[in-house]
Amino acid sequence: MATKRAPKSTPKHQPPPPALGLTREEIDQRVKKTIERTLARNIPGLNVPTPELDLEVGQTPKELVYTRDTLRLYHYRPVLDEIYRVPLLIVMSPVARGYILDLAPGQSLVEYLLLQGYDVYMADWAPPRREHSHLSLGSFVNEMLDGAVEHIRVESGEAELTLVGYCMGGMLSSLYTALHPHRGIKNLACFTTPINADGMVLYKQWAESKSFDIDRLVEELGIIPGDLINASIQALRPLQRSANQLQLLNNVDNDAFVKANLRFDRWAADQLPLPGELARDFVRDFLRGNHFISGDFPVGDKVVDLGKIRVPFLHVAAEYDHIVPTAASKDLIGLVGSSDKQEIVIKGGHVSLVAGGNAVYRLWPQLDRWLGARSV
Amino acid sequence: MSDDEQLNPVRLWREWFVKSEKAWSQAMTDMMGDERFSKGMGRYMQEALHSHRMFSESMAQYLANLNLPSRQDVLDVSDRLGQVEDALASVQVELRELRMRLAQGVAPASPQAGVAKPARTKRPPEPV
Repeated sequence: MATKRAPKSTPKHQPPPPALGLTREEIDQRVKKTIERTLARNIPGLNVPTPELDLEVGQTPKELVYTRDTLRLYHYRPVLDEIYRVPLLIVMSPVARGYILDLAPGQSLVEYLLLQGYDVYMADWAPPRREHSHLSLGSFVNEMLDGAVEHIRVESGEAELTLVGYCMGGMLSSLYTALHPHRGIKNLACFTTPINADGMVLYKQWAESKSFDIDRLVEELGIIPGDLINASIQALRPLQRSANQLQLLNNVDNDAFVKANLRFDRWAADQLPLPGELARDFVRDFLRGNHFISGDFPVGDKVVDLGKIRVPFLHVAAEYDHIVPTAASKDLIGLVGSSDKQEIVIKGGHVSLVAGGNAVYRLWPQLDRWLGARSV
Repeated sequence: MSDDEQLNPVRLWREWFVKSEKAWSQAMTDMMGDERFSKGMGRYMQEALHSHRMFSESMAQYLANLNLPSRQDVLDVSDRLGQVEDALASVQVELRELRMRLAQGVAPASPQAGVAKPARTKRPPEPV
């Protein structure tokens, strides 16, 4: 029986046969929906700027007012006509860039403090060069920080100022306040400040190992590279960065999330190198000697007892801090000799305490309430 | 999140990883806190420093023979550049002070004297 062969191609004037039982209209709708969904997913991704080009950080207007060795003292322009009498100096950690406190408009502790009426200065640190390898803890406290305090006293015309120290900046601020009781420090606030080396289990274990020779490391390198500092911080939570990147992928269609994440990521990878002598002091006197706890921390030719701090004191710790766990910072409040002292433990991590989305509602208003009453 | 995205196995794996990261990290950190690891890391660092010195010296000689800059030469340039940046920062500070003095017409004791400044009279808001 002869069979009729089906035509190889559909005549142009006829619509193609429906696929999977769908009509032409349904296929058109599906194609349209797929394209729209793809665009919705990808366009925000295309808008994501490259960290180097578009992710501006530290945008609050400021002026460089004093330099000494690696110290860069910035003064932020007041934004109100009436400000508190007592200027405020933020002391950053020598291993961290100051822009974490001024990441972006709306995400900036500095901007918040200016809007509340504070006169804000920041002691930030430039990357040290080989000629700075001799800078010790004594140089940071007695020379650079002292120079910054003196400059602010002269420039503002006020004899008193408030110190706010973040992380190792809190160590520097505490040491300075205890060592220089007559230099006009009116208030002291420290965020996540390491004081008890026993609470920094991993670093203490490494530092106390006989095969870890800090003297040789300093002698050979002079300046401890930022990458080495970064690696040692990463070791405290080795998979956190990978988890952050995966979380970024899960939120790639959320521009605000992506930008905030990239800013944090950029800061986290931007660790400052450390002058060799400062690293040696840190390992010898803090990690091995634990001299804050014994009340005889050596700085230059003097010995510091935090019990000599008598000014109003605030310590803020982060409940989930893995870099400076509360076990490493909780003793500070007991060691300080002030009668007006307070400790606040806030939910959050080492960085999210000061700069995360929750900092806006948690730390910043509490800090303002504490500072405002003591800045007149 | 749409049903499609909830059923995306890659996305589910990513979410699982993010949630369990802390526990995995803690396990790795505990391992690194072990005495043997600490000793091994110390030894590795000593060897790395020794190798670094040996390699740097031999490489520097080799590069010098080829009339090429060594890492030391690059670091020297970097240091010089840093010194130039320091000098620029100092000039920036002095220019600022000069600008303020010019604004008031005479040399003041304080660099900001004579320049309009906000009043330091703010009081904290009364508690509600």
